[in-house]
Amino acid sequence: MTSPQESAATAGPVTPARPAAASAIGRPTPDDRGPRDRRHYSLLARDRRFGYLLVAPATLVLLAITAYPLIYNIWNSFQRDVINSGIPPTFAGGENYKRIFTDNQFVPALAHTAGFTVVSVAVETVVGLALALALNRKFRGRGLVRAAIFIPWAVPTVVSAQLWKTMFDPQTGWVNYVLTSLHLPLANTTWLAEKWTAWGAILVADAWRNTPFMAIVLLAGLQVIPNDIYEAARIDGANAWRTFLRLTLPLLRPALMVALIFRTLSSFLIFDVVYAMTGGGPGTSTSVLSYLNWQAFFVYADYGYGGAISVALVVIALVIAAAYVRVFRSEQVL
Amino acid sequence: MMKWPGTARPAGRSGSHSVVSAHRNRALAVALSLTTAGALAAAGCSSSGSASAGKQVPASAKQTIVFATQGLGAEGTATQAAVKAFEKAHPNIKVSILTLSPTADVAYQQLTQRFTAGSSTPDVITSDVIWPSTFARPGWLANLTKFHPDTSAFFPGQMATGQYKGGIYAIPWFINAEGLYYRTDLIKTPPTTAAQVFRDAIAAMKADPKLKEGLAFEGDKYEGAVTAFQSFGGQIQPANLNNINNPSNVAVLTMMYDAVHKYHIAPTAVSTWEESQVQSAWLSGQTPFALNWPYIFALSQGSNPSYPAVKNHTGWVPFPNPTGGKPQASLGGDDLVMNAKSTHQAAAWQFIQYLTSDQAQIARAIAAGDPPAVKSAYTTQLYAAAPYFKQEQAVFSAATPRPVTPVYTQISSQLQTMISSVLSGQATPSAALSATAPTVKQLQQTAG
Repeated sequence: MTSPQESAATAGPVTPARPAAASAIGRPTPDDRGPRDRRHYSLLARDRRFGYLLVAPATLVLLAITAYPLIYNIWNSFQRDVINSGIPPTFAGGENYKRIFTDNQFVPALAHTAGFTVVSVAVETVVGLALALALNRKFRGRGLVRAAIFIPWAVPTVVSAQLWKTMFDPQTGWVNYVLTSLHLPLANTTWLAEKWTAWGAILVADAWRNTPFMAIVLLAGLQVIPNDIYEAARIDGANAWRTFLRLTLPLLRPALMVALIFRTLSSFLIFDVVYAMTGGGPGTSTSVLSYLNWQAFFVYADYGYGGAISVALVVIALVIAAAYVRVFRSEQVL
Repeated sequence: MMKWPGTARPAGRSGSHSVVSAHRNRALAVALSLTTAGALAAAGCSSSGSASAGKQVPASAKQTIVFATQGLGAEGTATQAAVKAFEKAHPNIKVSILTLSPTADVAYQQLTQRFTAGSSTPDVITSDVIWPSTFARPGWLANLTKFHPDTSAFFPGQMATGQYKGGIYAIPWFINAEGLYYRTDLIKTPPTTAAQVFRDAIAAMKADPKLKEGLAFEGDKYEGAVTAFQSFGGQIQPANLNNINNPSNVAVLTMMYDAVHKYHIAPTAVSTWEESQVQSAWLSGQTPFALNWPYIFALSQGSNPSYPAVKNHTGWVPFPNPTGGKPQASLGGDDLVMNAKSTHQAAAWQFIQYLTSDQAQIARAIAAGDPPAVKSAYTTQLYAAAPYFKQEQAVFSAATPRPVTPVYTQISSQLQTMISSVLSGQATPSAALSATAPTVKQLQQTAG
């Protein structure tokens, strides 16, 4: 970037009267010819070099903390490397990747993860949208409610998962207590002891924490929709449902897409809730990809296979993100 | 620390005098951004450790050693007291405590990360009895043979947990074994067969509707499931690992399944229970039998807080083997190990010797209820302060270590999944065993 002070300094000694703005935008003007021209361009080139110099440290840091680990991990994924085996790493070729397909835990974990992602994102979107619509209306104490609704998001995931584990405890938790008091079914359920009830508990814990995020992003989207459109719709005689479908939803699309991309990716990488609540159990019925990945690294100390699972996770996440961006683009064209 | 050429270059020398000020600004900006990057890079560099143990500091020199240990509550206080007493006896050595996670699995990962990074600290580490061979195989632990430890001073089962390829890598600190607590007011004679445990539990629940369970044990998918399985009679000694799908393991898993799903003496919730849930079930008096560790004895007999249901009604025996063999109380407890890269090994050894002295062992037993690993610490002085240690001997004598193998963590992970799937009713005992056996065999073979 060329600062005004800088351009004044460069142009100064030659043509003191010339307006600084001309060189500030860096485009040669008709009287900007002759020997000064070359000097001007070389300054531009110097500016560019200077720009590179300025971003270099940030680039280096980025390379060090994202590119290096990523490449190192890819390198690892082609190694036979169990760090506590006392055996030095050797080249393994595609062995670790082949193992992903023969591992009888990977495909079930992939299915669990995908299923969880679809259901949790759907639930969180619908509930989050409802909350956002409610919070977008004017009512007394709205500021307080808006702040309060954000509290779950402020609780660290592991803490909230541990809290939910306690709440779902059949003897000491309030979930079964409430169900019993209200004479509702499932009052004697040991939630974390069976596959589907365990998934239900995980879903509730995850949605409790992440729905507020959805709500806030969508609320921000709602607030930028100008009010006069709604007035026009009202004058045209559109009812509330029609207004929602034809106006609110299409205009909310950008915010919805951002929220969906964020939530889908973080749902897909779910780890802490499962780790704290079930440890992938009972058996392996709530095992998810990130849990498998953690297990490979930290239980089996297998950096080769762990690396391969990580790479697989990155690839799947990229595909999801790309799919969203594609949908997003084509919608924009309409 | 790296030197950045950019920061040293005088500003503005290359340009004409008219651009000097701009150059100075640029140079400043570059210097600033480079310093930031440099600081980050330096922070990144400083964590890499040396390749091998550095020059040893003699024991007599003034120094600080780092002791990594778990420790909340009474155990933490007891550790601090022991450190103070040691520092008083050795004024030139300071001990700094590095607190590890109270969750064994997490502490294991914390240590693995430190060792992998090649750190020379901590010097002395509290190690679960199942870890020493795992840590010794990659060369992370100092071989303590050079200090000529008195191996006969300790219970042999626990001493064996520190041995790897002929070396001694761990010294027992305190012993632990899992046994069956029974209510002496509800159960007239201590059970001698597993069938009797079940009969008594059913009868007790029938007689007293306030009892919610007949038998409480930990079945959550974690290390505790494996110790429970072993304490119930599961055969997981190294010789069995080539094929864990044997009749006695089927019998033990079937018994665990039956307790939950056939006789309903254990709640379905045991598949999510850890020691703390078993502890509250026992202390609140809602179960006549509970499988747990010796710390419960101290709690049951304590007066602050007091648990009237179990106070003076607590008995403890090894769980009778359902296949008629010898009972086997799963061995727990902690060892002390030394970092191979420590430069304070002489002082570290003095600290280990102090922690395993009779006086330190008795003090810890009385303050925290941790049973001494040193046989000679079982004295009248100990019994006078805590008479229940006398009763605990029966369980300790049945103490059976979990398999001493460098791949124990991996094998345990397989066993945890197996037990969890049986307790939750997802797989029959024999199906779960035949699904797990090949992987366990394969893992054990990689151990070499």
